[in-house]
Amino acid sequence: MAQDKVYSPQEIRILNSEGLGAKRAGRILESFHGSRPVIDIERGKYFTESFKQTEGQPLVLRWAKALYHYAEKATVYVDDDQLIAGRAGREGRYGILYPELDGDFLDEAIKSLPQRDSSPFDITDEDAEYIINEISPYWKGKTFHEALAAAIPEDTRRYTYNNDEELSSRFIVNETASFRSSIQWVHDYETPLRIGFNGIKARAQQKLSELDEFSPVDNTEKRPFLEAVIITADAIILWAQRHAELAEQRAAAETDEKRKAELSELARICRKVPAEPAGSFYEAVQAQWFIQLFSRIEQKTGTIISNGRMDQYLYPYYKEDKEKGLIDEDRAEELLECVWVAMAQYIDLYLSKAGGAFNEGYAHWEAVTIGGQTPDGRDAVNELTYVFLRSKREFPLNYPDLAARIHTRSPERYLYEVAETIKDGSGFPKLINDEEVVPLLLAKGARFDEAYDYSVSGCAECRMPNRDTFTSPCAYINFAAALEMTIYNGKMLKYGDEVIGLQTGEVEDFKNFDEFLSAYLKQQKNFMKQAFIQQHEIIRLRAEHFASPLGSSLHRLCMEQMKDIHQPYIEGGIDLGYFEFIGYGTVVDSLAAIKKVVFEDKRLTLAELKEAMIHNFEGYEPIRQLMQNAPAYGNNDNYPDEIGKLLDRELLEFTGKYSRELGVHLDLRYVPFTSNVPFGKVVSATPNGRLAYLPLSDGSSASQGADKNGPTAVLLSNYATKNYDIRDRAARLLNIKLSPQCVKGEEGTQKLVDFIKAWRELKLWHLQFNIINRETLIKAQQNPDAYRSLLVRVAGYSAYFCELSKDLQDDIISRTEHFAV
Amino acid sequence: MSGTVFNIQPYSLHDGPGIRTIVFLKGCPMRCGWCSNPESQESCPEVYFDKEKCIADKGCDFCRGLCDIAGFCPQQVNSELRGSCDAFRDVCPSGALGVYGYDASAGEIVDRVEAESAFYSHGGGGMTLSGGEPFMQGEFALELLKEAKRRRINTAAETCGLCDTEILRRAAELLDTVLFDIKTLDEQKHIRYTGCSNKLILENLEMLFSDFPKLRKQIRTPVIPGVNDNERELNEIRKYLEGRENYSYELLPYHRFGEKKYSLLGRKCTTYPE
Repeated sequence: MAQDKVYSPQEIRILNSEGLGAKRAGRILESFHGSRPVIDIERGKYFTESFKQTEGQPLVLRWAKALYHYAEKATVYVDDDQLIAGRAGREGRYGILYPELDGDFLDEAIKSLPQRDSSPFDITDEDAEYIINEISPYWKGKTFHEALAAAIPEDTRRYTYNNDEELSSRFIVNETASFRSSIQWVHDYETPLRIGFNGIKARAQQKLSELDEFSPVDNTEKRPFLEAVIITADAIILWAQRHAELAEQRAAAETDEKRKAELSELARICRKVPAEPAGSFYEAVQAQWFIQLFSRIEQKTGTIISNGRMDQYLYPYYKEDKEKGLIDEDRAEELLECVWVAMAQYIDLYLSKAGGAFNEGYAHWEAVTIGGQTPDGRDAVNELTYVFLRSKREFPLNYPDLAARIHTRSPERYLYEVAETIKDGSGFPKLINDEEVVPLLLAKGARFDEAYDYSVSGCAECRMPNRDTFTSPCAYINFAAALEMTIYNGKMLKYGDEVIGLQTGEVEDFKNFDEFLSAYLKQQKNFMKQAFIQQHEIIRLRAEHFASPLGSSLHRLCMEQMKDIHQPYIEGGIDLGYFEFIGYGTVVDSLAAIKKVVFEDKRLTLAELKEAMIHNFEGYEPIRQLMQNAPAYGNNDNYPDEIGKLLDRELLEFTGKYSRELGVHLDLRYVPFTSNVPFGKVVSATPNGRLAYLPLSDGSSASQGADKNGPTAVLLSNYATKNYDIRDRAARLLNIKLSPQCVKGEEGTQKLVDFIKAWRELKLWHLQFNIINRETLIKAQQNPDAYRSLLVRVAGYSAYFCELSKDLQDDIISRTEHFAV
Repeated sequence: MSGTVFNIQPYSLHDGPGIRTIVFLKGCPMRCGWCSNPESQESCPEVYFDKEKCIADKGCDFCRGLCDIAGFCPQQVNSELRGSCDAFRDVCPSGALGVYGYDASAGEIVDRVEAESAFYSHGGGGMTLSGGEPFMQGEFALELLKEAKRRRINTAAETCGLCDTEILRRAAELLDTVLFDIKTLDEQKHIRYTGCSNKLILENLEMLFSDFPKLRKQIRTPVIPGVNDNERELNEIRKYLEGRENYSYELLPYHRFGEKKYSLLGRKCTTYPE
């Protein structure tokens, strides 16, 4: 080819084998990079020990005591070269145990872990023994997982679990509440930085002294809550002190003068924060890391606890230090990058197969939010915002998940630097649109100041840290399975003769498209019924199994009402949950293809189509291609998009009616993480020509390869299929893959900015770019060693390409690459 | 009024300011050996066939019914099949057999262009007419430009310059940007490689410079190995342009993305440089 291939800078870095640079964070990264994660059992061990001692006590108090026990006993670490102290597990990349979630099958899971296909872990024999003999037996019969499975009615169970011992997921109507303690979440970090945990403790003590000594509620609910807050504050302070001691010892033994001084300074800081208010940028960064890390110890939060608006709450410290001449951009960047590499060593360990499949590539999304608006509705970008962007360009690690809020008055420089950072090839930052999110938060009852001040949480969600109160993880619904049940009258090929769904009639008997569509809509509605029944039981049972004294102590409403965040009802809270549409493009394209090819063009009967699908189109390639080339979602074509909008609307109307019964918002969301892969593994061939058990379409993106009109058409189809008149919608995840040619040079950056502005005006929620060459991905698949640090976008985050399973790699490669020739 | 187009392509980034939608009109007076859009050259629709996509070996015979039509034979390319080709549309399931070019009204086309308007408002994007040579379908091209202007859509046209001067003059009244090719100043060479003299082309360009000083002009030279890829020739073009106003000059790198389309049309690209 005469045409030069243009590689993204990240790819060039890898291709030139330049290594990770001479930076401090680069050296730390190199010390563990590419190593296989190990399991550290201390969290599981100390929680179990403590729980054995506290049976019968209020749960929130038990949780606080377990945290204290951990803080007292667990090994603490100060890493070589690091400026930030604190790990939740041993050196290298580590995962930790949450036996309250999976203790019932932990022993079995541990045995298979090193051999697991996606995201394997190592564990020592000694630790495995301990888990099998000491941890797992205690939790059997006590986990939420078991309680939920027992509570879900028989009819709903069929859609939820396989009939096996582990109660493995069936990937039809999938609950995600039993493999994590909370939905994605973000704390108010600003308050503890400002008043310290001594301040929080003092507030709790004050409230304790004001309790009504005769009130049964005060005595049995509020008192234990406040005591738990005090114990938890003591725990995190103690834990920090132990880090200070270790740093002092290390400093005393250190011979290098420069490092000795660093360690002494670190020791001083750990003595002070998070007990006392932070007094400098460095102290604030260390305090924030202690808080988020201790939060990881407290509970397993979906996608890992997010970091909130770091460029906002850290800015006063940065500004003051800068004015005093104590810090410059380089130093601030170095400190932040020390946190990023510490984050990268923590691995989100999922022991259940379902959990592991949801989070391939050891993915986690502890979102850092930048930009956006201030509580009074002005642009919020400041000097520190640009330091975050610079760090992502210079050190393109896939942690943290950087999220840039965009609004109509975002400054040009900010948009330009966001685009430049995206071009760098790592896919960060992802973009979240204030023009969609803020009005929706208002519509759900927020005040303007709260709505303007939202934080991105996890993959694509948005939270108001002191107003949101809904922590129950929600259903992922495989609507491609509903489609399959429409074809096979309630059955799925994978599950043979078992009738799972509704019997909506033999497919051969449908006389027109409306009959077929109405059968599908019945199946769809039935899935919603099952999901909401699950959710009802999840909400009902959770408070008996989970408590979060740390998280609650950082929440204004919880502190005011002296109530744990996991309690089902907190006055004044806004409960923002969701349910997930898996396989949107697959379903819409299938319906459009049936409408066009079978009923309009009459080139095929439903009987012939069914026959071809039963054979996975083997021997029926002409039929497969006929269906595949029918009008498809993602091309700004009204034909499929009208169907897409109808499905979206039906779901919104269902939740508009029934989520009110549950007292919460369950909004329609299209954010699959990597789960479009495992959900695809139960769905046989679909009418859009997709072969059996391949991945379903991803989020609100087009089916793999179906978007033939370029990225603008993908955005416009999204716009066309949204029902803007109904408030019950949440995020739509939208991934756009661009080749570097599209964004080459100064002009390319400007056109990327233009594209982002159009997305903003279309009021789409989320946007993420993947700028990469297809050839590079194929090469990486063939030669993983040479491409170990290659970042790739998968459903809203970056993972290392080579750590993904082959299925997922193939999925990424098969997505259309938009060349602008 | 309707005309013949062969593609409407959104998200085009290198054909005028901002993000644009290109309307490709069929028909070109030149026959450049390096043309990357061979399907643009003939004015009427043409049948194409892509052997690689054909799945006859997998039992497909959807095109069998077309055998009654003069000259059609499944699994073969027939470069004579052009003109009224409607029977060949939407038959093939795999996209191996199909038709380049269809008729549409100016209103229908600008509807499609306008559907992308969210992407034009920043960066000055809009509609670009291309081809072929868009001004071969002169009145239709003017109709498209008028309709776009009526809807406040930014307009551009990519022209080889070989067109009726009056048409070009009327178009220039409606254009925000013109993208104008100069392949070479050497007339003999121009005839040898494109089949046409460059005399009218240069006259037309002079007219645009003299009569439309405010029109933004992007002059471009596709750099073709063995034809004009030498500094002397390119410098002559630069010198020719020197001192003129309101123009930019750029070189377009040579690529071979069009190569395969020749074989789909049953043509040989004999002069395609290596």
